[in-house]
Amino acid sequence: MNTVTVTLVQQDGVEVTIPNAPTGASLMEVAKANAVEGILGECGGACACATCHVYVDPQWQEAVGPPDVLEEMTLDGVSHILRDNSRLGCQILLREELDGLRVAVAPPQ
Amino acid sequence: MSATEQTTRMDSCPVTGHEVDLSATTLKDPTILARPNEFYWTMRHQDPVHYDAGLDMWLVSRYEDLQTVLADPITFSVEKGYAEQYAKGYIEEFKEILERDGGGFFPDAIMTDPPYHTRIRKLMEGAFTAHRVKQLEPEIAKVVAGLVDKFADKGAADGVQDFAVPMTIQIICAQLGLDDYDAASIQRWSLAVTAQIGRMQDREQMRENARVICELQNYLIAQIRDREAKPRDDMLSDLVHARTTDEDNPTLTFKEVVSLARALLIAGNETTATALGNLLYILATRPELARELYDNVDDERYVTRFVEEVLRLEPPVRGLSRMTTREVELGGAVLPKGAHMLNLYASGNDDETVFECPRKFDLQRPNIGRHVAFGGGAHRCVGLALARMEVKVAAREFVKRIKDIALDIPVEEIRYLPTVATRSIERLPLTFAKR
Ligand code: HEM
Ligand code: FES
Repeated sequence: MNTVTVTLVQQDGVEVTIPNAPTGASLMEVAKANAVEGILGECGGACACATCHVYVDPQWQEAVGPPDVLEEMTLDGVSHILRDNSRLGCQILLREELDGLRVAVAPPQ
Repeated sequence: MSATEQTTRMDSCPVTGHEVDLSATTLKDPTILARPNEFYWTMRHQDPVHYDAGLDMWLVSRYEDLQTVLADPITFSVEKGYAEQYAKGYIEEFKEILERDGGGFFPDAIMTDPPYHTRIRKLMEGAFTAHRVKQLEPEIAKVVAGLVDKFADKGAADGVQDFAVPMTIQIICAQLGLDDYDAASIQRWSLAVTAQIGRMQDREQMRENARVICELQNYLIAQIRDREAKPRDDMLSDLVHARTTDEDNPTLTFKEVVSLARALLIAGNETTATALGNLLYILATRPELARELYDNVDDERYVTRFVEEVLRLEPPVRGLSRMTTREVELGGAVLPKGAHMLNLYASGNDDETVFECPRKFDLQRPNIGRHVAFGGGAHRCVGLALARMEVKVAAREFVKRIKDIALDIPVEEIRYLPTVATRSIERLPLTFAKR
């Protein structure tokens, strides 16, 4: 299995770098497995709770891509903390092009 | 005070001055169960974690305190709280009846605590993702159309009995793969199971409910045995043949399978039917909203928000139980170890510190998805994407076919099921015109 490196910046400013994140897993799963603060993933990756909300580093936005309609609807539920670069971590599947990915964890709902 | 008066007073904004005398009131009171918002308001303002002597439970009323409870599933145990609530007062006799006539007593495998709960939960999560559920949308639309066509010409129907209940039963049975089901039985089974956490049954009712639950279990056990021998492409087969990542316990036990099948059939049913009843209630009592919904019926964002606001304003699940596993301070109260609690999600949705003018139906809320109608934390509803989809499709297809929806009885005469767990309209006579 291939792995990539991803970095999540927590609300408290702490940067968590995960050097061996398996491709195919979601960013939410990887973050939870590494106890990243603020990534709760309560619906288990069903795209239905927005407790895995991240802001994608502008440099990575193009590679990550935009949310689909279902994800947009879930993000719309938390529009008080929504930004142009908002994504749900459970909907970002890690792949080789995302090696080095950097995101910030959104504040709690 | 009349129901309408109370509604008008609660609808005011800012909400102030709606006190009830907490010491003289219990949530068990059917008039409070039917119109609980002033009671909730008073608790949030005077005694946010309130000991209700009538129920012998601590009621958690504020959004913030609910979040604290939801974030700590070890201190606030679902397993212990549920066991305490279940068939309260009669549990031994209840167990005996099920063991004798119902194939066994099968505790709910999902109503447990981590780490056991985590293993069970992982098995269920994959089945209900928003993307999987999206594929069901055309099928759900067909179900709605089929039901509505049956009564559209008549100009009158019962929104709960003729629509909400049969719709949810049809959909969950299709998912589970129960194709020979009898809808009337399933409704009886649902009511009997949910009565076990409702705290309103007497001994005779418990015995009758236990008998009905035996029927349900015997039906499910036969279906499960069938899938063990001949797996099909349905959710029941998925459960029977599921493999977990836990190497010591790679499959579900028979007991676990029965309890999960029962949970899916019932949990998904009653709550969603209640949500659909509430949707129709809102359409019938607020004609301007029904018209606006029709005008925006193809706007995905609008309809999604509409459904969220229905769930926030009229949450199907009122309250579910927990038990403390240690002494703990919550919202200014000190709860001893073993304190039995009720998480009042309905009060959380009404908390004006989170939702401005909480009784207002407001589609512009920036935090519209923050409501706790589906709970939160480790136990957040596992069927939420399916539930939302069902309500959304129902809202859309209903107003596309039916207009001028109105209540056929005075608001005061609407009856709710006798239970603290949900707030469910029993019958909703409606009049309308075909579009
Ligand atoms: C509008 C409809 C629904 C509402 C309002 C609702 C509400 C809830 C709530 C509040 C909880 C949290 C329980 C707690 O805090 O103790 C919950 C859990 C659960 N719900 Fe739902 N639900 C709905 C529909 C469904 C559907 C359609 C299904 C399945 C097909 C389902 C299956 C479950 C299960 C299995 C749990 C237990 C999850 C756990 O403890 O990990 N629900 N639901
Ligand atoms: S984990 Fe629930 S939306 Fe991502």
